[in-house]
Amino acid sequence: MKELLQIGLMIGGWSLVALCIASFWIPKVLCWREKLAGLTPLMRELWWTYSIYVWISHAFFAVLALSFRDWLMGGSGSAMAMCSFMLLWWAVRLWLQFFGFDLREVEGTLHNRIAKQLLTLLFMGLVVLYASLLCWNAGWLERGFLP
Amino acid sequence: MNTLYLEMGLRGTGVILLGLVLANFVAAKRLRYAENLAGSEVMVRQIFYVHCAYIISIISGLALLCLGWPQLLLEGGMGQVLSGFFGLFWASRVVVQLTYYDKELRRRERGWDVFFLLVFVVLCAVFTLATIYQ
Repeated sequence: MKELLQIGLMIGGWSLVALCIASFWIPKVLCWREKLAGLTPLMRELWWTYSIYVWISHAFFAVLALSFRDWLMGGSGSAMAMCSFMLLWWAVRLWLQFFGFDLREVEGTLHNRIAKQLLTLLFMGLVVLYASLLCWNAGWLERGFLP
Repeated sequence: MNTLYLEMGLRGTGVILLGLVLANFVAAKRLRYAENLAGSEVMVRQIFYVHCAYIISIISGLALLCLGWPQLLLEGGMGQVLSGFFGLFWASRVVVQLTYYDKELRRRERGWDVFFLLVFVVLCAVFTLATIYQ
């Protein structure tokens, strides 16, 4: 199980790197510049500030998954807290993917449809990964049972 | 630096961070987010609120950590990495405040501008100290 989680963290980490790189195309694909043109300068500035900080958080999660695997699987209280936080983060994002965002205005091109499915898969994978890590840190997987 | 002082400092920042969480809700009303976003497309509105909520969740999580378990940020290894990350996080927020936000608006709201600038400087200082002195 430990090896499986280590591989999962490696895949999750690199997927987050891919997400961070792909994020540079999101403003272009969703035409943010044009759509934000109607907002006041302050709202535009807040928009970009929030977006950049969310991007930084994703980059930090990638660093954690790729460089601090042992710590994330160490069973400490802080590792459990961090895994819970990231589980909550991605679970909410997955919920938003299905029930939150109104994606009707996004063009239904092949690229966009593939990107949407890949994103959904990524969010699902990350939820499973961090839920498994939480169970591992709590000792449930190590003992071979789940409560 | 004494660990006790750093723990106290981190608990203090926990209170400041809770204040920031509340300030986000006040700002939404004061800066009329809803009215300003009313004319924009649905997707723009939704992404704005989602990003806003995620930022608030990070600050809330950090506030909880600082108030309840400040020692976790001081125990070396990952604690040091987390403190370092948030030191940079708040340092970048100082830079954003000084270089990116509309100067005219900052001049009009000079009191709040200086207040939040000080808050971000204090947060940056405490997390940087927590990174260095452990």
